Amino acid sequence: MSENHHDTSESGPVARVKALETLLAEKGLLDPAAIDAVVDTYETKVGPRNGARVVAKAWTDPAYRKRLLDDATAAVAELGYAGPEGGHLVAIENTDRVHNLVVCTLCSCYPWPVLGLPPVWYKSFAYRSRAVSDPRGVLKDFGTELPSDVEIRVWDSSAEIRYLVIPQRPAGTEKMTADELAEIVTRDSMVGVTNVAAPSRRGDKSKRAGK
Amino acid sequence: MSVAAALDQIVQAARLDPEHVFSAPWEARAFAIALKLSEAGVFSWDEFRERLIAEVAASDRVHERDGTSDHGEYYEHFLRALERMLDDKGIVRS
Repeated sequence: MSENHHDTSESGPVARVKALETLLAEKGLLDPAAIDAVVDTYETKVGPRNGARVVAKAWTDPAYRKRLLDDATAAVAELGYAGPEGGHLVAIENTDRVHNLVVCTLCSCYPWPVLGLPPVWYKSFAYRSRAVSDPRGVLKDFGTELPSDVEIRVWDSSAEIRYLVIPQRPAGTEKMTADELAEIVTRDSMVGVTNVAAPSRRGDKSKRAGK
Repeated sequence: MSVAAALDQIVQAARLDPEHVFSAPWEARAFAIALKLSEAGVFSWDEFRERLIAEVAASDRVHERDGTSDHGEYYEHFLRALERMLDDKGIVRS
């Protein structure tokens, strides 16, 4: 594979990153081993499973749900989720009448401690521009069709404020425990591009609309 | 686990999950460098974000003008913002 594809400078990104790493290590500003640790953390420890546990707890514990809506930063910290880009978190709840959708029109602001790093589509020009101009169309792209009387609210994230959507708990999950519920909460539902589906019966794979 | 192995794993995961956050090992590396340097106080994450927003905005203007969409080049903007930051601070000359 050519490293000079899509070049914006004399050398491609692979070589430029390598050069930065070398120079920074020589200056004593960067420990190459620390890179491993960061990568590992964001691969395995920080991710949408954290947010899923927050949502499942909110679904099953009314007092927690209230705390989450009052002060999301404090409520997720109760579960041990905190860290960079985690401050100023606001939880917004989907209802029968209102569906919430989160975007960052400027770049990629996103609540890392509960959702991990933003997926490629969230950072794309297409999503960032269309979430504002045509939210219903974006939802359709994700296979989410809402009744026309449901209001869609679009929340633009910023350095000051991040959002976590609390999706609606699907019908038919009344007997499930918080742990079981956390398994069915997806990252996309916490950004607001999809709803949470009740778990399908074993072997019955629910079809996901392509994007 | 070595850097190479860790990053190979990321790319492997990205293949299995197209919505994965990194598309290539250098993207994860660039992210980790920026995060570590901000943790070390070389620059603040807010300062970095300002530059990232400027890079993304410049690219958005081109897409708007040409009616094009992107090819997932976010980390190219990210790397450019990082290089500019280190250049401005006189740490690494681009």
